[in-house]
Amino acid sequence: MPYYAKSEDWLHQSALLLQARPTTTRITTRYHLKPARRVRKAQARKQQSDDATAASSQDQQQQQQQQQQQQQEQQIPEKPPRGHLVLKTFDPASGVTLKYKTSKAAEVSRLVQMLGTLGRRMAGVPDLPAPSIVMTATEEGAAAAAAAAAAVGEGGDGDVGGAGMSRSASGVGTPTPGGSGAGAGQQAAGGGGGGKGKKKKGKR
Amino acid sequence: MGVLTHDEFFARLADVFTGPKTKGHGAVFLTQKRLTYGQEPSIQQQQQQQQQQSPSSSSPDPSSPDQTSPEIALPDLAPPAQPYPILIRATNGKGKAARDRKVKLSTVVQPDEIEAFFARYAEVCKSGMAALKPRDRTKRKAKAKKKKAGGA
Repeated sequence: MPYYAKSEDWLHQSALLLQARPTTTRITTRYHLKPARRVRKAQARKQQSDDATAASSQDQQQQQQQQQQQQQEQQIPEKPPRGHLVLKTFDPASGVTLKYKTSKAAEVSRLVQMLGTLGRRMAGVPDLPAPSIVMTATEEGAAAAAAAAAAVGEGGDGDVGGAGMSRSASGVGTPTPGGSGAGAGQQAAGGGGGGKGKKKKGKR
Repeated sequence: MGVLTHDEFFARLADVFTGPKTKGHGAVFLTQKRLTYGQEPSIQQQQQQQQQQSPSSSSPDPSSPDQTSPEIALPDLAPPAQPYPILIRATNGKGKAARDRKVKLSTVVQPDEIEAFFARYAEVCKSGMAALKPRDRTKRKAKAKKKKAGGA
């Protein structure tokens, strides 16, 4: 199964999978560190040995000093181990796997928020209209939108609940792959999302 | 290990993240899924009834949508009468060779706690995943320099 290039695509497909099989689908987040590539070191050693054989005895000391300096210079910019983050949605019943991979720190909070929205689906709690807006927001606006979304969620939990149930039911009836359209519909339906909608228009 | 409270879970999860940070290699696995085990028997009975009904309609294979309607093929489609809790698990991915160093954590998030839990979860993850690429600000800096140079 493929890696998705965009986290939004992954979120959308995962949401559809969760809608189909909420009891068996699980989401695994893997964060792993890989040691930095050692290519540079190997090259440095090669150069050192070549120079040592070619150089005369008088120049050796000078060259060694130079090499030491070079080594130090090369060691200083040596990269620390780089982390990678892989999100995987897997359903053992149907064998569907959806993946997304990133190494950007800026995305972490947004991705965990996506885990939260999917978690709501898992629990069977009706969706708030806010998360769909956060999904389309730009990176800079994500944090602010998240805060606003939380505020909206706390305020409008009760009255949005009933509408959310009916919305999800209608969504089941028409499982078309037009994710953006469904998101827009939710925005329009959610009374609390009015202010958010304006925000998004401004960004576009 | 039994199920932990949220506070305990986050405290230990931070410890799990320090493992790869100090060693320079390693992994952390976080999993979330719906918790159906040990829930109210009425829910499970309903599901079993639904599952029993679906194979009785001549085609037990759920991958044949032509013969069965989606409601029968996917008994989960209908929204649950009662929201389920979510099970969150975390391990450091140690296998058999290092079983003694394996850490397994788990916690249960009730449906009404999801918002608060994931807000804290995001913070713990952000601080734990420090080895990811920081945002590249070199372009912005270059632009700012240009502007300054142009203004002066």
